Amino acid sequence: MHIPDGILPAPVCAAGYAIAGGVTWAALRQINRTAASPAEVPKAALLAAAFFVGSSLSLPIPPVSVHLMLTGLLGALLNWYAWPAILIGLLLQAILLGHGGLTTLGVNAVMAGVPALLAGQLFRLRHRLAKALSPRAALGIFSFLAGALGVGLTALIFFGLVVFTMPSTFDPATEQNLLTAFMVAHIPLVFLEGLFTALLCFFLLRVKPDLLK
Amino acid sequence: MKQPLNSVSSSTPPALMIPLVADGLQTAVAIALQNLSFSYPDNPGILQDISVTIRAGERVGLIGHNGCGKTTLFMLLCGLLVPQNGTIHLFNQRVEPHQFRPEVGFLFQDPKDQLFSPSVRDDIAFGPQNLGLSEGEVVERVEAALDLTGIRNLAHRPPHHLSGGEKQMVAIAGLMAMCPRILLYDEPTASLDLRTRRRLIQFLQKSDETLLLASHDLEFLLEVCDRVLLIDDGCIIADGDPVEVMGNQMLMEAHGLEKPHSLVPHVEMHHSSPQLRPHWQA
Amino acid sequence: MAVGVHADIFIPGQSAIHRWATRPKLLSLLALMFAIAMVRHLVLLPWVFAVVIGLYLWSQLPLTYLLRRLPYPGMFIVAMVGLLPWLSGETVLWEWSFLALRLEGLQTAALIAGRFLAILTTGFVLLGTTPFLSLLEAMRSLGLPPLLTDMTLLTYRYLFDIANQFVTMRQAMRLRGYGHVRQTVSRQWGWLVALLGSLLLRSYEQSQRVYQAMRLRGYGHGTPPRYLSSHPSGRMTLALPTGLIWLAAISFVVGEFFLSPL
Repeated sequence: MHIPDGILPAPVCAAGYAIAGGVTWAALRQINRTAASPAEVPKAALLAAAFFVGSSLSLPIPPVSVHLMLTGLLGALLNWYAWPAILIGLLLQAILLGHGGLTTLGVNAVMAGVPALLAGQLFRLRHRLAKALSPRAALGIFSFLAGALGVGLTALIFFGLVVFTMPSTFDPATEQNLLTAFMVAHIPLVFLEGLFTALLCFFLLRVKPDLLK
Repeated sequence: MKQPLNSVSSSTPPALMIPLVADGLQTAVAIALQNLSFSYPDNPGILQDISVTIRAGERVGLIGHNGCGKTTLFMLLCGLLVPQNGTIHLFNQRVEPHQFRPEVGFLFQDPKDQLFSPSVRDDIAFGPQNLGLSEGEVVERVEAALDLTGIRNLAHRPPHHLSGGEKQMVAIAGLMAMCPRILLYDEPTASLDLRTRRRLIQFLQKSDETLLLASHDLEFLLEVCDRVLLIDDGCIIADGDPVEVMGNQMLMEAHGLEKPHSLVPHVEMHHSSPQLRPHWQA
Repeated sequence: MAVGVHADIFIPGQSAIHRWATRPKLLSLLALMFAIAMVRHLVLLPWVFAVVIGLYLWSQLPLTYLLRRLPYPGMFIVAMVGLLPWLSGETVLWEWSFLALRLEGLQTAALIAGRFLAILTTGFVLLGTTPFLSLLEAMRSLGLPPLLTDMTLLTYRYLFDIANQFVTMRQAMRLRGYGHVRQTVSRQWGWLVALLGSLLLRSYEQSQRVYQAMRLRGYGHGTPPRYLSSHPSGRMTLALPTGLIWLAAISFVVGEFFLSPL
């Protein structure tokens, strides 16, 4: 879900940049405050590259195959660094792949980045909220929720924007039908993202639990 | 089977489809390259008009400086790349672009490129599962591969946690589980310690498959191969007995290589013990 | 996905646009893009196109460059733009059974398509005439935080390595028969989870080695490095392109302002 140039009105694009600027400030403040080791920077940078590359993977869901966004997973693994990672990913997508989105960079960053940050926070809460469960069950549930939240929120923001900017000449009944159709189509995707995120976290738990700390 | 040293290029007979008779035994032609040419957009003429025949069971070393086209040749043999010109036949069947040929196994230079499953057993099972074999057959193949490579004790462990040498054996096991007839090894000793390297040499000396080994480790090739191809400038410069090809100092140095140490005449015996002399110097 | 090297996007040249200093170029062209995004009246589009085409010609970038790149980003727009004329608006221009071509929808579709093409072309002028490192340096001087600059450089530097690793891993899977025989969804998912997980793992381990190498060369101590532009291009703060582009941008905004009460 990436909004190309030309669709959104200029004030929305500008607001997107403003909000993105604010989130950048907040994320950097958090990063500095937690006095994270400078080793986190290469870790976040290379994992961002891996996500960028890996996002080209398409998952078979017969009869189709889909590309997953994995923003929830990004948030879970990178925490506050997920925001710069997404920002950089979008920038490189524009610069290296020529996918456009220069005026909508702010909007797209907020659309993917804020849910990623929230998903990351939710993932972190598993230690506190799931004390009664085994660590493995807690991991499974919370990684699923993080994955689902990441995509779910992004989809909501996307729909919100579309509704907001839809031309007023649109027949309200058609508009509602289209939107409902899109929303319904995304529910299985939200579930699948959650599932994939959980499976991947289980894989990492077995092979490199350090990544999940 | 020893071959005389000769310069190949245009003198190779084109009749490559006929199984060649040697020592009264008929040996099938495993690999037949005819007028093979390949260019990369930024590296034209990396392989030019290559014609070679390799018989089943031969162990052939490929030597040449970095960038001479050894890996490219391997990728062409697997069907990963499509030649601009020429044909490749594996056991008399032509290789079509991007066609899956399970009879060829390719060991990549970095075993990490080939291992990705959560356990060694799962990784070895990947190939047989993708061949469409039944559960029982898959288990059989995995067990056989584990025994062949001697890594049964590693079966349940994640490949990511293993040492370089262990990873390589797992990658080899994964290939062997597909029962290949031809194996391509790309720089197999590059990051092995001496003990693991020795194990690999012993393993390869026992194998029946047709082997193609690209390596800078010339001593390794001396111990394993019975034939060597020297590649430079897109052509096969020399094709023959390893000692004769690699022992030719002028030839080796003219093409960016060196004579292996064990072939350097030892005027001063700086090896104190006769046991340290390689067998061909005996 | 073909992760193109930035060299594919950047085309060296001698035009005034190539020699235009990066900071004013970035700001002016972004301003132009935003001004285009503000256009809401179809009647302004021909003027917008005239400006953008003029800019493209001034940059001396080949036409094939643009034609090769427009199709990809265009697909989403085509989908959106394709539907609007049939679904949005009251005035029906043409009807056939249940399909009705509507004027307002057509107008909106044309507007969106026009803005998209104009903004993207401007974007390609920027990317085609500016080396990546110059862009990054300009952004840094405009206030991009050092953390983001560091991360962008590292991500860019290792992107191709990681992409190659991924390609090789997938080749290795195919060589062992992946995709040859139909498999259950659960098995495929298992393999793809393992593939992506392994890629993440390798990147993480590589990052630890990268960090160690950086530390041994002083990273994390003392002053942050200054990133030098690799190309000497763009040294001149050319007043002409800066002035003209800003004038054009302002003209769009003014045009919109005057047309709005209508």
